Parts: sequence; C-alpha cells; structure tokens
Amino acid sequence: MTVLKTEALCKTYSSKGNITYKALEDIHFEVDKGDFVGIMGPSGSGKTTLLNLLATIDRPTSGRIEINGKEPTKLNEKQLALFRRRELGFIFQDFNLLDTLSIKENIVLPLVLDGVLLAKIEESLGPCAELLGISAILDKRTYEVSGGQKQRAAIARAMIHQPSILLADELTGNLDSKAAKDVMESLKDLNEQLGATIAMVTHDPFAASYCRRIIFIKDGKFFSEIRRGTSRQLFFQQILDALSVLGGNFDDIPFARS
Amino acid sequence: MTFRSLALSGIRGNWRAYSAFFLSSVFSVFVFYMYASFIFHPDVINGEIKGAGSVRQGMVACEYIVAIFSFFFILYANSAFLKTRKKELGLYTLFGMTRGQMRWMLMLESVFIALLAITVGIGIGMLLSKLFFMAMAVLLQVASPIPFAVPLKAVLFTVVGFFLLFIVLTFLITIRIGRSEIVELLKEANKPKKLPVFSIWLSILSVLCLGAGYALAYTMNVSTAVILMLPILGLVTVGTYFLFTQGSIALIRLAQKNKKLFYNRTNMIILSQMAFKLKDNARILFMVSILSAVILTASGTFYVFDKGGKEQVLSQTPQTIGFIERGLQSHAVIHPDKVREIVKGDGRELDYEVQLVGIPTEKVRKGDGEKLLYDNWTAAVVSESDYNRVAELKKVSKLSVVNGRAVIVFPYKYKEQSSKPDLDFSSLEIQLNGERTTLDMDPMQFGAIIAPIESFRNLIVVDDAQYKKWLSATPMAGQKVAYGFEIKDWESALTTVRKIEAAIDSDHEQFAQMNRVSSYLHMKQTSALTLFIGLFVSCLFFIASGSMLYFKLFTELKEDEAQIRALTRIGMTVSEVRRIVISQVGIIFLVPVAVGIVHTFFAMKALGNLIMMDVWHYAGVIVGIYIIMQTLYFAVACTNYMRRLLKAAV
Repeated sequence: MTVLKTEALCKTYSSKGNITYKALEDIHFEVDKGDFVGIMGPSGSGKTTLLNLLATIDRPTSGRIEINGKEPTKLNEKQLALFRRRELGFIFQDFNLLDTLSIKENIVLPLVLDGVLLAKIEESLGPCAELLGISAILDKRTYEVSGGQKQRAAIARAMIHQPSILLADELTGNLDSKAAKDVMESLKDLNEQLGATIAMVTHDPFAASYCRRIIFIKDGKFFSEIRRGTSRQLFFQQILDALSVLGGNFDDIPFARS
Repeated sequence: MTFRSLALSGIRGNWRAYSAFFLSSVFSVFVFYMYASFIFHPDVINGEIKGAGSVRQGMVACEYIVAIFSFFFILYANSAFLKTRKKELGLYTLFGMTRGQMRWMLMLESVFIALLAITVGIGIGMLLSKLFFMAMAVLLQVASPIPFAVPLKAVLFTVVGFFLLFIVLTFLITIRIGRSEIVELLKEANKPKKLPVFSIWLSILSVLCLGAGYALAYTMNVSTAVILMLPILGLVTVGTYFLFTQGSIALIRLAQKNKKLFYNRTNMIILSQMAFKLKDNARILFMVSILSAVILTASGTFYVFDKGGKEQVLSQTPQTIGFIERGLQSHAVIHPDKVREIVKGDGRELDYEVQLVGIPTEKVRKGDGEKLLYDNWTAAVVSESDYNRVAELKKVSKLSVVNGRAVIVFPYKYKEQSSKPDLDFSSLEIQLNGERTTLDMDPMQFGAIIAPIESFRNLIVVDDAQYKKWLSATPMAGQKVAYGFEIKDWESALTTVRKIEAAIDSDHEQFAQMNRVSSYLHMKQTSALTLFIGLFVSCLFFIASGSMLYFKLFTELKEDEAQIRALTRIGMTVSEVRRIVISQVGIIFLVPVAVGIVHTFFAMKALGNLIMMDVWHYAGVIVGIYIIMQTLYFAVACTNYMRRLLKAAV
C-alpha cells in the first residue's frame, strides 16, 4: 500500500529581477507502508525543499503530492494544519521541544491539541515511551535531559498519534555519535516493530545506513536509488560509494549550538 | 561606517523595542514642558492672573512627580534594553570592541534618543501650550486670555533636566556591563528557562496580607483612618508583590494539577506558558498594578470630590436663598417681596419658595432625663403636613407621624453617629412654653429640607394635632419662620444672590444662608483645576506603564516565534495560535489592571467611609474609562504581536 506518492514535483523560487531558481524538478517517488526511506544529496540539492513540500509547510510550483490518499495541496490553511496534526509526524534537527513543558507534556501535545480523552492519552504514552527508552525521564524538564533523550522524546511526540508517515530532518545533526546511534536504533525499532513509515533527510551516511533504501538527488533532480541488503555495514559502504559518485560538498552541517 | 552611524543603526535595529519607550519619554517631556511653561509664564510670575499662585504650586508638585517618575522609568527601561541586547553586545566584544567603546556607543545611542525625545516633546508642548493656556484661562476665569509664550526658563529646565537624566542613567547602567564574560553574553538568549518555583508560605502570606489590607480598608472610618492608612498601604503592597511572584505560580500549579483542565487542547500550552510569563514578568506586573491602583484611586478621588462636591453643597444648602425670621410677622432679615423683586428684576425665575413655621424648643432631653448629644441642643418643632409640603417641593421622602410620637430630622448624615449610644433613645422630653411633654420616637431622619440655621438646624416633626395644640400656646413673636427660595438655574445666579445679600440688614446676616452658589462655584473651580492638572500626570503614568508592558512583551518575541514555528509545524491551526497569543498578551496587559482595579475598589470603599458618601458609581466611571483605554492598548499590542507571530508560523 502506498502511503506517499509524488508526481512530477517541481518547486521554483523566483526573486526580484526575474531570476528564477529551480530547487526541485520533476521528482517522482513512492513510499509504501512500513518503508524507511532516506533522502540524500549534497548541499543545495533540494532535500530540505523536498521535505518541506512533503511536510506541507511549503507548496509545490507544479506536480502532485499524495499522502495516504489525500492531496494536501488542495486543502485550505486550517485543513492543512489539521492534516499535519493527524497524518504527519515531525522530527527536527533542533528537537523543537517546548521549554515550558515537561518531557511527558511535550510528547502528548499532539493528542492534547486534538482533544483526545485523558485516559486515551495516558494509554498511548506508556508503550511509546517504553519502546523509546524514555519512561524514566518523562517528568523531567527539557533542560534536564541529554540531546539524545530529547531527540527520542521528539520521536515519541512525532509518533504518539500514529501518523501515516514520519518525516525526519537531519535528526542526528545535533547529536554525538553515541546518541546518534541510540536515536537511529530507536527509529529502526519503530520501523521494524511497529511498522512505522519513515522518510528521512540526512547528510550522515551512518544515519542513512539504517534506512531500507535511499534516494539520491542532485541539483533538484532524481539521481539514483539504492536498496539495503541484509547487512547494514555493507549498506554503509554502498552509501559512501554512491556519495563519491554523486560528488558535492557534504560537510555543511551547521553548528546549531555554540 | 563611522562609530556614530553604528550607534544610529543600533537604534534603528532595535526600534521596535525603543518605540514604546521613546513615546513615553516624549510624553513625559511634553507634560513636563507644559507645566513648566505655565509655571514660568511671565503673566503668572508677575501675578497678573488671579488665583494662579496656588495652581502654580500644584503644578510644581506635579513637576516633581513627573521628574521622579521619569527617573525610575528611564532607569528601568534602559536596564531592560540592555538585557535584551546582551547577545549583540557579546558579538561586538567578540569582534574586539573594548568596553570603553561599547559604553561610548551606548551613550551615543542614548544621546540620540534623548535629543530626539526632548525635541519632539518640547515641540508638541509648544504646539499645544496655547490650548493648555486657553483651558487654564477658562478654569481660572480670567477675563483676558493668557497669551502664547515660550518661557526660556521652561525650555532650559526641560532640556537640561531630561538630557542629564538620560545621560546619567545610561552611564550608571553601562557601568554594569562589561563585567560579564563574552560567552555568557552570547549564551544569554539560549539559556533554558528554569521551571518557575513558588513558596507555599509566601503565597499564603500574600493572601493574608491582601485579605487583611482589604478588610481594614473596608472597615476603615474617620477615627481609625490616621492609624490604618499606612498599614493598609504596606499590607497591600507586600501582598501584591507576593501575589505576582508566588501566588500566581501557585494558582497555575493548582490548575495544572487538574488534569481535565490541563490536558484540554491549548490549555496545556497556555497554562504552562502563563507560569513562565508571570514569573519572568512578576516585578513589572507588580509595579504596573500598583501604578494602576494609584492612578485609579487618585483620579477616582478627584472625580468624587468633583461630582460629590455638588451633592454636598446641595445637602448643606437646601435652597439657594434661605433665612429665618423670629416672629410670625417679623421681616427683620429681608422681606420676601424684596427677594422676589430682585429675582424678577434680574430676569430670573423662582423654581419654588417655601415658608416653614416652627416652634423653637426651650429644652430637649432624652425620655430618661439624660442630655441629648450636648447641652443646649435645640430644635424647631414643625407639623407633619408642613414638613411634607416642603419635602414634596424638595423631592425627598415624606414622613407620617402618629399622635404621641415624633421624628427628629438632623441636617447632615451622621452615619457613624447613628450607632452611637448618644442617639440611642426611644422617647424624648420636649419643653415648650415652660411645659414638658414626653413623646415616643420614630426612627430618626437625616437631610435638611430648609436652611439649617439656628433652631432650624434640627427639626422635630410631630403630628398636626399636637402641633396645633402647641402653636396655639405660643405667642406669634415666639414662633419662627424659615424662608427658602429656590432660583431656577441657580448655578449661574451668583449676581442675583449677591444683590439679595446686599439687601439684607447687616445685623441679621447670621440668620441668612446665601452661600450655595458661591461655594458651589468655588468647589467646581478647584476640582476642575485639580482634575485638569492631574489628568496629564495620570495619562503619563498610564502611557508609561503600558509601554513597559509593551516592551516586556516584545523582548520575548524571538522565543515565542520559535515556539510558534515549532507548534505550527506539528499541526497547530492559526486559530489555536491566536488563542494562545491572545491569552499571553492578555495576561501581561490585563492581569495587573484587574489587580489594580480591585485595589481601587477597596480604596474607594475606604474613601466612601471617610466622607460618608456612596462613591461606587464615581469609581465605576473612572474604572470603566481605564478599562476601555487599557483594552485599546491591549488590542494594539496584541495585533502587532499577532502579526509578527503569524508571520513566523510555518
């Protein structure tokens, strides 16, 4: 079953003086239920634009997006917000957890906003926190926990309402290697044990090696696609090979925190 | 790029933060200059304007208030600005700007702002000073208008005073920077906020303080006012402080414990943010609520004296002209025909006239032989039907007295004394024409219906039969007659009253009451002047307190933008964002006002106790105006803030 489908997706930015810039051109791909797709490409290749389009926070210039059988481009602003709330789950590089809320409150936020009953909220929280290994820190504040824990809390928030698809944007970008490994393991568990559908944009070949397949884009166009076999180590090597073919600069992960 | 242009661009870049502060500074310069231009006006100094002397003193007092207030306002605003710009300053330090240079830059900025604010403020002041003079001329009732003038002294005082104020305060503040490490400056913005904590004891203390203060104010009366005034002020101030720093957090914690409420859609975000916002802004909210209470109480008090003064004058002088003749046929004071003639001669009309015949008492004691209030307490005995005839004209409630009973009518409201044992008696022994009669008492009444002069200060109303019996035993010369003439539109009848006053025999002046119009006009002028002069100070307080809130709101814009962006990404709708923003801004703008209003109502209750008047509706008018103004301020701030945040959304 297809969860996400794009057809001839284009995004053109135009600035003053009629200079147009094609950020994305003719992107076709499908994501099936239970899939774990990585999207990679050098800086300026349009990965973030693509993710923003999928996240419905930006509108394509032309082409179609279909998520779970619905076309978000045809929704109005309010419907779109509700669509994001119910059908999508987001994981960001800088966590985007609210300082004013505890970890637990951050996680259940999507359910609370949707007016879900209190008993149901508590019911959803338990297994979710268990799976991600954050049951012990639920009552802590965001500044009391580590980056990896924050990101796992963010993952819990992204999936607690059981969205059709999880969209992750450089989720290991702010983490050290140990925390990155933990977070990716959690994401893998989600995918394998709960059958969550995930689309992830990343620079990091190590993080990407957890995916089932990877789509490479370059200069806004589809470049190539590789699929994972049984071994993750082998896949990691494949990714590195593919990247060397792709070329371009991969060292531009910004320092988000000083 | 010169150093000067760096400072200028610093102002431009922070204009949003500066604008509210700038406007308040302009307004305080404007108010200061306007008062100064009157104080130093050549005509005022030369004493050409009658009554300007006392007004001048009042204005000098206002100048002090404005100056002191500006001092604290600028001090606060400057240090608050600096806090919001720590990151910027950290960057400058990183690039090698020395502390001296940084101070110099901040000083330059401050100089620019000061010069601009002073120029604009004085400019507006000059433009509007003619209007101000015109208003003062009307209020002071001077015949020739006060000419436009720009007193050099006023300009100098304003310019030098405010310039020094700005510069010195900025200097004091800049000394404080440069002591912190660069990395701390840079990190300032990203510091995580600690969970607001509260002490349960201090919360209880705040409730106790407020409760005690309110209870004392509620029960305060003339005799306890002097002792209680300061303790009440202290209790309420301490209570308010802890209410914002502790009690508010405790309240929100309580709401958060209620899971049904807390886990209900946007409530979760609103409540948890509220805790942070209240804690972060506790001091400023405290100051604004005290300031609001001060503005409201002061304006309310002036307003009460303005409006209530008329009531008081009317209650003391039942008719425009009142006098008393001893003896039924006597016209020793003035003949009623003469009064009518003068009134008519001035082209005026009488609303009504009354004559009330009364028998003066020789001695009155309580039924048990105790003295009543004081020795020589006397009254005039009048009949029920006579009393009711006058009462009908005066539009006050009538009395009905049965045989054998009597009602005492006191001229003024003795609310306090009505509970005194002195007036606690059930029967009255009245001595008339050497004969003693004991009558049972009906509940006493208050309010003069006829000029309260001599025997007619107090009236004893008895039934017609009893009255007739006494009257027949009283010689005509022993009877007294009170005359009352009510002139139509008496407010403007000063000249007519003066003419009648002149026609009264000077030996009998004490038997006439002619002062209604003049006391009314005097009262009116005084209170109008006070209101008018005080208005500017109130406005200044109002604008300044609003601008502090406005500024505080925008210092957190960046954090809120990031938060809203995150929230809209995970699917928060625009209407939910609106709800959150309105509640956030609402807390900042309306909570201190609400607290200030509650304070005011208790203060007005205390005032009502003191002057024995019902002041609620006057307080209500002032509070209503204030609520409207603050709501407008809130609407402006909210719209601006909303626009910025919605721009940040997704």
